[in-house]
Amino acid sequence: MSVPDAKAAVTARDGRRSRSRSRARRTGMPVSVALSAVALAAAILCAIAPGLLAPQDPALIDPAGGLQTASGAHLLGTDALGRDVLSRVVAGARSALVGPLILTSATVVISTFLALLAGYLGGWFDAVVSRVADTIYALPALIVTIVIVGVFGGGWWLAIGVLVVFNTPTALRILRAAVIERRDLPYVEAARTIGVSRWSIMVRHLLPNLEPMIVTCFFLGFTYGMVELSALSFLGLGVPPGSPDWGRMLAENRVQVAQNPWAAVAPGIAIVATVLSANILGGWIYERLERRKRER
Amino acid sequence: MSDHETTRALAVRDLDVWASGPRGDVAIATGIELDVRPGEAIAIVGESGSGKSLSTRAVLDLLPEGVRATGSLRYGERDLSALAPRARRRLRGRELALVMQDPFTMLNPVERVGAQIVEALRDERGRRPSRAARRAEAVRRLAEVGIADPAVADRYPFELSGGMRQRVAIAAAIAEGPRVLVADEPTTALDVTTQRQILELLGELRRTHEMALVLITHDLSVAFSVCDRVYVMYAGALLETAPSRELRDRPRHPYTHGLLLAEPPADRRVERLAGIPGSVPSPGTRPDGCPFAPRCPWAAPACREGTLPPLRETAPGHGTRCLRIDEIATELGHGGDRPGVTADAASRASRATLVTVEGVRKTFAGRRGHGGTTALDGVDLSVREGESVGLVGESGSGKTTLARIVVGLEEATDGRAEVGGVALVGRTTRADREALRDTVQMAFQDPYSSLNPARTVGATLREAVRLAGGERADEERAVGELLERVGLPAQYAQRRPSALSGGERQRAAIARALARRPRLLVCDEVVSALDVSVQAQILNLLRDLQRELDLALLFITHDLAVVRQVTDRVYVLRRGVVVETGATASVLDAPAHAYTRELIASIPGGRSLEGSTRA
Repeated sequence: MSVPDAKAAVTARDGRRSRSRSRARRTGMPVSVALSAVALAAAILCAIAPGLLAPQDPALIDPAGGLQTASGAHLLGTDALGRDVLSRVVAGARSALVGPLILTSATVVISTFLALLAGYLGGWFDAVVSRVADTIYALPALIVTIVIVGVFGGGWWLAIGVLVVFNTPTALRILRAAVIERRDLPYVEAARTIGVSRWSIMVRHLLPNLEPMIVTCFFLGFTYGMVELSALSFLGLGVPPGSPDWGRMLAENRVQVAQNPWAAVAPGIAIVATVLSANILGGWIYERLERRKRER
Repeated sequence: MSDHETTRALAVRDLDVWASGPRGDVAIATGIELDVRPGEAIAIVGESGSGKSLSTRAVLDLLPEGVRATGSLRYGERDLSALAPRARRRLRGRELALVMQDPFTMLNPVERVGAQIVEALRDERGRRPSRAARRAEAVRRLAEVGIADPAVADRYPFELSGGMRQRVAIAAAIAEGPRVLVADEPTTALDVTTQRQILELLGELRRTHEMALVLITHDLSVAFSVCDRVYVMYAGALLETAPSRELRDRPRHPYTHGLLLAEPPADRRVERLAGIPGSVPSPGTRPDGCPFAPRCPWAAPACREGTLPPLRETAPGHGTRCLRIDEIATELGHGGDRPGVTADAASRASRATLVTVEGVRKTFAGRRGHGGTTALDGVDLSVREGESVGLVGESGSGKTTLARIVVGLEEATDGRAEVGGVALVGRTTRADREALRDTVQMAFQDPYSSLNPARTVGATLREAVRLAGGERADEERAVGELLERVGLPAQYAQRRPSALSGGERQRAAIARALARRPRLLVCDEVVSALDVSVQAQILNLLRDLQRELDLALLFITHDLAVVRQVTDRVYVLRRGVVVETGATASVLDAPAHAYTRELIASIPGGRSLEGSTRA
């Protein structure tokens, strides 16, 4: 029951929706959303095929050519070890996107599952899930993550795992509220009356109607996760040293900001641009889905 | 119409209302003409999607974002469209006031009602009067709308009933002595007895304050009971206008004629209700020519071409927008006098009992044990095989709770409830629940939320068929049969609920309930959210199903006219207690309990119609 599956299923059901209407909506895309989509597409392309866009090997060290400013050979200059900054920013897209993607996917799947159970079944299960979620919510996520990851030795997967635990309550609350809102609607009661099983009501009747909220949680989780993971790698936790990662590059190059400002600024811009784009795009998709649901 | 009359409070000419959508502008209403003389009460009657609300909003300059209007609007001697927005805003409230439909959302929930009534109060120098003076004024105005208790001024909206809130809203609307009061479905959300009080209040205030009343409603009988003249709108066009009595006795437009016939009579049961086939076209999908032509039994090829037919005056003050007025005039005269028939309840008296409810109580606990409410207080009810039983009462009477107990969605706190041999109070086994579902199914009130918006009608029905134990290979055929049974084409299986009209959705929901071949169908206000013309179709369908499938019905409604058409026996509920029960005809014709009498007296136009039945 992964999120993309549910989405694909819903889109397929939409198949017979009038073509002219969806075309009209597609042309109605605001400029900010179009720009965001382009920026995200570029980041995804970098992550899939860094070799296509990176002018050099991002790991190639040139001790003599360190800390150059922007030039024809190095569009964004080089860092202290003489590595090409542009190539490293391009190569960094992979860890920048993959981490948050795994993080938010796991968060959304877990919280959707728990939200359906807690919201629909209610009772003691809901009470336990909600209180545990509230408790986790009350803890300072990043600080606790730094402590745990620091104590157990800075593993990337560990960081992801801990952050999944900390990010789940946010999505869980949104989705649980959405389940509760729909739990007593006539179409759910009608399903109960004709004898649909509880599991089937949750998966086949409630889940598809949570789509806009799930998409929102996905994008929110993605942007949150990206900031959190960048912050961790900025502190030297998570990704191994030497790997091209935007947070780590920011940390490594900030001391030489006077010699080649681009070395620190470029990864920073990359983080902000990606997060902003994901947020704008997510908001727009949510509104579109909601509008579609409202149209009768 | 006649332009020689100079004394008009409000005159609207050639009003077009447009909404800008993703595919360009869509016409909401076209060529609207309205005249309101000082002190006169007019009604704008139309079904959903007629554009009646937005047309009047255009006059008040209260159109929502993305909707605009063109045309000539005159208020007295002034041209409203030439006024600056600021000047029009000043006019609103002082000269033209509005009362809205929903008494639950139109008052500010965090402000005391007294303060809301005198919000705009200023003295001659434009200053706010003292607190004491403001309160005194609020109390005086509440008394004017029939709220004698001065303490009400200090209450918050949530502490008041729906009817009280509507009174408060009216007090606030007439606070500055407007010349024209626009009331947009002011009683639709209220119970019948409250509705009658509010309508009487509006009529009285109109006389005492010498203001004109523009009543927007979907209910012709409400319009007739309050207004001097009626405008009938359909799909964005004004189709007919006439004095109330004239329109009621001599409708010239097929649509008005159809609406009058579709309204179920409260004083007799008719063989078959005359629904208008089809449903109201939505803006953007309206046909050329006469918008009613596709549903009109008299439509000629010419009706479907060109533009809107002209509004022709056939009698003084009676205008009709129909190309064939003269040709069909005699035919429209027929069909109005439908003889009453008697329900054949006697034949079912000896049949087995399906539902037995004895001394059922249901209490809902409040938060932490406080403020619990008793929804049902010792109710007895029985339904026999093939019988149609009505459950009548106002909001809060417990009728829906009782229905939900019968279906198994709710458990009684106390008492005995047995459906098809299954005891519903206390522990039930899986087999019990399955047996219950094979015996009783339910159709819900709101057709817009009773079908899952994410699934096609076919998917919903296939699921129901599967749960009924149908063979997988036979599913498609079974779904087709169910759709046919409720009068929907088989292709509708591929559609999602959003592509269906309200009536079609209700049919699909009924089809789902029939999938398990229940012995009893519980109908919870199934027609109250539907337009009159569609309501008749659904009522006819239910009567057919009862006869053809030998299905018992438990029909919950607040509408006595509807109960008359569908049920053999009726239970009248009030605050969780059955106050009267018996054969429907005898309960309605000779009510024994005071509450039943009050309900019957509250039917709009119920009594006034008696004297004027057409010969």
